[in-house]
Amino acid sequence: MNTTIILPAEMCYLRLATVTAWTAAEIFSNSLNAENGIHDFCHAFKLAVCETFSNSVRHAVHSKEEKNVTIRFSSSNDRLTALVSDSNLPFDPVITLPDIEKYPEGGFGLFLIRQLMDEVVFTRENGMNLVAMTKKLTVEHKQGN
Amino acid sequence: MIIRENTRDSVSTITLAGTLDALSAPELQSFSENSALSPNVVLDLSDVDFLDSSGLRVIRGMALKKRESGGDVILACMNDDVRKVFNNTQLVRLFHIYDDLDAAVTYAETNKKSI
Repeated sequence: MNTTIILPAEMCYLRLATVTAWTAAEIFSNSLNAENGIHDFCHAFKLAVCETFSNSVRHAVHSKEEKNVTIRFSSSNDRLTALVSDSNLPFDPVITLPDIEKYPEGGFGLFLIRQLMDEVVFTRENGMNLVAMTKKLTVEHKQGN
Repeated sequence: MIIRENTRDSVSTITLAGTLDALSAPELQSFSENSALSPNVVLDLSDVDFLDSSGLRVIRGMALKKRESGGDVILACMNDDVRKVFNNTQLVRLFHIYDDLDAAVTYAETNKKSI
């Protein structure tokens, strides 16, 4: 799989991003003839893309120019990667669990992504923030295939 | 997101339906800030099909706000995907969670009397 979707950095496009993430994960799962764990795999990608896309949109509102968020899905053997990129200002990803009783601190999004994915890599390249999120699908083949 | 509120046994029950994410979380935030709710509130999540950290943040904020005045937010009937978000963030430790709506309302009603 090697598929890219480019969306305006506006929150009204969030559901398009998440539906695309779910569908990409589902297509990838089907390509491996996976039988079990598909729902959890698709949900993990939907949630991870949801968190990164909404983060990008929140940071884009500080810009006067129109911004896009690019999401590229690529696979290698039994691993699917969602690479989310934007041209926002650099940010420092802090992936620690926030104080759950402190109000109104956030920060659960990045922590969730780290929990859901096998590998999360943040890079800054040519003025772009890149978040590469990879998860392995443990394949149990359908009987008869 | 559909948000409905009804009062049963003097306990406000907020029923949510749909996706609770960064797009819809502000609706719940606004609803909770502008509604006259009982001290203890039951959040019926049975028809919530997806929850992200923005929705989580609003639910947590509602609970912490309620606790400031001696109340609480009790969660009921979350599906496995929604429960996973609470588990992964350890916010499951912050709430009383029931699989049954009646049990949640009963807890809220009983707990209210001791406030």
